[in-house]
Amino acid sequence: MREISQSVVKKDHGPKVDGSALYVGDYPTQGMLFGKLVRSPHARAQVLGYTLPNLPEGYFAVSAKDVPGVNQVHIVKDDSPVFADTTVEYIGDPVLMVVGPEEREVNRLAAETVVEYAPMTPELDILKADTVFFDYRFGSGEVEQAFEQADRVYEEAFETGYQEQAYLETQGLIAEFVDGKITVRGSMQCPYYIHGALAKALNLPPDRVRVVQDVTGGGFGGKEDYPSILACQVAVAAVKAGGKPVRVVYGRREDMEFTSKRHPSLCTYKVAVKDGRVTAMDIDVLFNAGAFTTLSAVVLQRGIIAAPGAYRVENLRVRGRAVKTNTVPTGAFRGFGAPQTFFAVEMMMDHIARDRGEDPLAFKMRHLVRQGDATSTQGRYHFPVPLPEMVAEVEAMSGYSAKHNAYEQPQTGRFRKGMGVSLWFHGAGFTGSGERDLIKATVRLHKEPNGRVEILASQTDMGQGIKTTLCKIVANELNLPLDQVAYENPDTDRVPDSGPTVASRSLMTVGELLRRAAITLRGQWLPGVDQVVEEHFKEPDFVIPFYLETFQGDAYPTYAWAVCAVEAQVDTLTGVNEVLGAWASFDVGTPMDHNIVVGQMEGGLLQGLGYASMEQMAADNRGRIRNNSFTDYIIPTSMDVPVMQVNLHVQEYPLGPYGAKGAGELPLVGAASAYMAAMEQAIGENIRHIPFTAEDALDALSARQKEAQAHDERN
Amino acid sequence: MTNGIEFTLNGTAVVFEGSATARLLDVLRDTYGLTGVKCGCKEGECGACSILLDGRLVNSCMVAMGRVAGCDVVTIEGYAKTERFKTLDAAYAAVSAAQCGFCIPGMVLASECILAKNPNPTEEEIRDGISGNLCRCTGYNAIVKAIQIAAKEGAGLW
Amino acid sequence: MVNGWNPSTLREALAIRAQYPVIPYAGGTDLMIAEEREGAYLFLNRIPELKRIVREGNILRMGAGCTFTELLEHSETPALLREALALIAAPAIRNEGTIGGNIANGSAKADSALIFFVADASVRLQSIAGERVLPIREFYLGRKKLDLRPDELITEVLLPLRWLDSYDYQKIGARKALAISRVAFAGLMTVENGIILHCATAYGAVSDVIIRRPDLDAMLIGKAVEQAKALKSQYLAAYAEAIAPTQGRVSATYRKTVCLNLLDNFLKKFGV
Repeated sequence: MREISQSVVKKDHGPKVDGSALYVGDYPTQGMLFGKLVRSPHARAQVLGYTLPNLPEGYFAVSAKDVPGVNQVHIVKDDSPVFADTTVEYIGDPVLMVVGPEEREVNRLAAETVVEYAPMTPELDILKADTVFFDYRFGSGEVEQAFEQADRVYEEAFETGYQEQAYLETQGLIAEFVDGKITVRGSMQCPYYIHGALAKALNLPPDRVRVVQDVTGGGFGGKEDYPSILACQVAVAAVKAGGKPVRVVYGRREDMEFTSKRHPSLCTYKVAVKDGRVTAMDIDVLFNAGAFTTLSAVVLQRGIIAAPGAYRVENLRVRGRAVKTNTVPTGAFRGFGAPQTFFAVEMMMDHIARDRGEDPLAFKMRHLVRQGDATSTQGRYHFPVPLPEMVAEVEAMSGYSAKHNAYEQPQTGRFRKGMGVSLWFHGAGFTGSGERDLIKATVRLHKEPNGRVEILASQTDMGQGIKTTLCKIVANELNLPLDQVAYENPDTDRVPDSGPTVASRSLMTVGELLRRAAITLRGQWLPGVDQVVEEHFKEPDFVIPFYLETFQGDAYPTYAWAVCAVEAQVDTLTGVNEVLGAWASFDVGTPMDHNIVVGQMEGGLLQGLGYASMEQMAADNRGRIRNNSFTDYIIPTSMDVPVMQVNLHVQEYPLGPYGAKGAGELPLVGAASAYMAAMEQAIGENIRHIPFTAEDALDALSARQKEAQAHDERN
Repeated sequence: MTNGIEFTLNGTAVVFEGSATARLLDVLRDTYGLTGVKCGCKEGECGACSILLDGRLVNSCMVAMGRVAGCDVVTIEGYAKTERFKTLDAAYAAVSAAQCGFCIPGMVLASECILAKNPNPTEEEIRDGISGNLCRCTGYNAIVKAIQIAAKEGAGLW
Repeated sequence: MVNGWNPSTLREALAIRAQYPVIPYAGGTDLMIAEEREGAYLFLNRIPELKRIVREGNILRMGAGCTFTELLEHSETPALLREALALIAAPAIRNEGTIGGNIANGSAKADSALIFFVADASVRLQSIAGERVLPIREFYLGRKKLDLRPDELITEVLLPLRWLDSYDYQKIGARKALAISRVAFAGLMTVENGIILHCATAYGAVSDVIIRRPDLDAMLIGKAVEQAKALKSQYLAAYAEAIAPTQGRVSATYRKTVCLNLLDNFLKKFGV
């Protein structure tokens, strides 16, 4: 293990454990005003007007007409309004905010506000949706020819559902407007995203906008774009609050029902096989974007880039669409489009292998990409692909082959077992040329005369430990003890824009910038003098530029890799299924801190297993999400996956700090298909959707039994 | 003769003059400023608001003030002053069990209850002991390990 | 206390209950879920009569104020009840939740109530005017509807112990902890010298009220195991008709299928 990988006590450990860490909801509320959003009960309607109840002294309301700037939240395409104006587009779409000094009274007044709607017919079905937000196509080779010449063509469709981030700390922000400057603080991943959104909505120059991150209790992508929307709403209220701070901290139900979630998907795969090899894939990916575009363009991009999986597919056609439905806008969640398509491609390959009478793992391994191969978008896998070694590691940890072979034999007991394996990658860093053209990250190191160094960057620690790991990098290059390097929660008044905390980019991209800045500082170091060093992102030379118009090039500079085996069991009497063990090997390059990275891998893996099974969330036929509490949206407890083992396979990335690569999202992406492959073996039926519930399992077992009986009767 | 609710809070005798139906979680945070007691759901489903009531782990969001009359309430702030806490703190630090931290005060108090019941708990007892504390970040392994380390390092304390 | 009473004797509590419109507060774990709560609470946690656990012959008398944890820690608690209690929610809920509250919630999902149904337990209801002892089946009138008079408190559960050692219990939830039952099954069967001396089954979480049909179970009582086997398909068919599940977070079809699967499995366990 490299010395830097050795675990240290996290810099923010103490206050989190003794309860003194202040999250946004912990600040004393004396003198603050509370805000409560009034939301549409209709999935689609015209807004005809509203009537406020009698507002006592000190209470007021804000709506679209109070937005000083543009009634749009700047995310990517800016079609989300700050407040719904003439129409509402989903159940929960905010129309106005009631504000005042007593929270209970504010809630009562909000409940008594009457908004007049003319309901319209909502579009809730992605197959019928006629507004296509984004439509991308790419491919290579001779797909039609390959299908004509195929020995066999397989076609299947796969469905995935919502997944809710379920961070333990709900969304919350406090806004204050004093002397023409707006300050917003709170729970967030991207201070500068919020900064940009506020400037536009309030029509303020950049230096009249300040955004400060508080200790943030989890994000997972759920606090990537959503806080920009809430920030604009709270800020508009703050502008009318006479200098008083306005606070909105969501309760769990409001958060679960109305904030962004993972895109539900329908992926159709048509695969040509000739002489035992996959020769072509024709893939159609359909994502449910909800009512507004928000991040769907990029989620879709990442999803379709991952669509052929870790396999060499010489003839490829991919089409991806993100369509509008009148439901809550979907957004970012760890994996960002890839979990959907990796579920589909892994199950597809499993099904083809089984149909051919081949072992799924052996079949998959015959198709793995290797260093030098083209990526799905005609970039290159510039660096080694360690999947074969990682498969061996997982085999050793899990006993995959022996178990898989054993469970392949007919099982007759009440409990049936299965063993599944999946392989995947996650593109490290921001998709395409975004890092170069949009983010243009800048970092600074500020060295005080006493020798203490402060990192100035806009990355947010939401539990993934970058406060510690970024400091380790700088401390290491400057040969300083760790406590001489500081990283405060970012404040846009003090730090440059080093980009959002997303896309598994913070450690790899920003960490490397900081390392170079530290090297520069080391070279220029003057004792007793105040110094500042700045560093700017430069795209590595080897990267084949990516162009969205052609959808070609290196979508990512490098990839993180994963292999996961899951042993599962199903109760034939009840369909209840559980994970008996999950074993995985992850290559995220050099871990900047062993315990921190292992913790990230374990946490993400469990989220991926939850995505496959218990985490069920659906909109009903009116477009309402009914499971809006921890009682009804089921996430894993400590009892649910007691055996989970993770191995770090280190394939150093030369352009990451000490060989590190993007890590955060990887572990979640492919876990679901390993679990479902195990379930397929246990049940004896193909699985084509997640979440796969106990009821689904019982139905599948019943179908299997009927087939077996019919087979017996025929013979 | 007071109409208030008398109880002991982190070792100090206090009197709460408000409604007996008020939620203990809200009172601890808003009246007594004990913001280490977190609110994750307000429905008894996540354990972020865990406190010790007469030494037993309870979700403070599920407790009305009238219930605590004459009782001993300990929050993470009070517990953090104990020797046992130091052992748990070091154990959690050793495995970097605190990621976003929001579940952690509840987890620490749940850890105390596990070790108070059995100073050498099995892994199953540990997992059962924290089964009411939801964590979205860690996957639970590090927290389980931390409690195992505390059991070993804290010999004699429990 | 403002908006609350915390009596230290049962007599006091019953007097308050009769005189004022109070909401009895046992463990609070159902009551406190509502965001907005009106009214005054009658706190029952300080009443020693409600915490008593006494075995009288073959009846276990458990105070309605006993928490799940208290019962789990008590040596007299029978294994079947222990199993059901151990699967309720999580430690923090078990530390406060009571059997009285579990019953008073009136839900067919109540895990301890399922055991009381299958064991044909009774509840004691007391008021300042007197007391009644009702078989628990008669206490439940419908979904969230109990035969509880406005001046009454549930004070005790009387649990017959005779047949409880030989049982089968299955709880189907969405995960392994913090799980509300989606289907729950409890079955008792005692076979001695090849004769079925007792048979009782109960089905929780599938309908408005826990399903208990002693008239159907009677089909097998007194029969030799071989006779019972011959009657099995009739018995199962009778339950297929009797169990009319409601749709919930899982479908009615699923609930019914699982109930019948678990019933069949229970019979097999005892050789039927």
